[in-house]
Amino acid sequence: MVKLRARCLLLGDPAVGKSALSHIFHSDGTLFQKNYSMTTGVELLMKCVNIPETNDSVELYIIDSAGKETLVETCEKMWGEPSLLCLVFDLTSEHSFANCSRWMERVRVHCHGLHVPGVLVGNKSDLSTRREVQASMAQEWAQSQGLEYHETSAKEMENCDAPFLSLARIFHSLYHECRETIQSLSPG
Amino acid sequence: MTEASLSLLGAKVVVATSSDENHPPENIIDGNTNTFWMSTGMFPQEFIIRLPEPTMVSAVTVDSYNVKHLKIEKKMSQNASQFEFATQKEFQNTEGHLQSNAISLNGSSATDLRFIITTGHDHFVSVHRVTVQN
Repeated sequence: MVKLRARCLLLGDPAVGKSALSHIFHSDGTLFQKNYSMTTGVELLMKCVNIPETNDSVELYIIDSAGKETLVETCEKMWGEPSLLCLVFDLTSEHSFANCSRWMERVRVHCHGLHVPGVLVGNKSDLSTRREVQASMAQEWAQSQGLEYHETSAKEMENCDAPFLSLARIFHSLYHECRETIQSLSPG
Repeated sequence: MTEASLSLLGAKVVVATSSDENHPPENIIDGNTNTFWMSTGMFPQEFIIRLPEPTMVSAVTVDSYNVKHLKIEKKMSQNASQFEFATQKEFQNTEGHLQSNAISLNGSSATDLRFIITTGHDHFVSVHRVTVQN
């Protein structure tokens, strides 16, 4: 049995649904805040995810950081060294998708050369008539950045767990790879 | 103390921040570099080695992997309420073989040694052996 711990940065433009997503995941789908309340700082949510077919688990420390440009600089100080990245955009806003590359640049500075696995999440999939970003386009960009792509609807509580469960699984396999490497090492 | 493993001499690991039950912290002081303790995510990570009695420590040797920065603190006696800073060191990344670093502690007396790994060259680090030189 292994209990892993991962620091998961939750980033993306304002009002794309970062907090809604993380609250739904954290509360097992019982909490969707109907009224928008902008995150102005950093909120920390912890949830333990069991890895299927093992006795192992991953504690995700989700760092929900304000998306508003003027607040980012202050929030960045609390990002620390991330283990995982969850980058969210709004499927009905081309602009929020275009900004994802800027978020990636910001994150890189905090990774200190470490490979940080991540997912790209297109949220608000329920607003299909207002969709501005096609799945194929998002998928392609995600792949170019080494991210796994997911679409969610926080409002309809659809697929909201998937990106986080996927992150936990990725981190778990990273641990096992690293452990195997270490087991095969020769003395210094 | 250089010859026998720390655990044979009565030392114990009393605190460790990570736990993989297959790689417990006792592996740090069993004198064997084939067994190791592994961190399970996020930094800092730390462990505390309690020596059986106040000991003059001139240096410690740490065999590890992926450790980038290590800080060592010490407690002069069992009654001391706080740890004092002892030293710190940046470890080079090694690929395919263990890091082995001798760290001087200037012969100060200590009962507890606290090892704080503040950063790593990867998400996970391992510590294979710590030995103490008088």
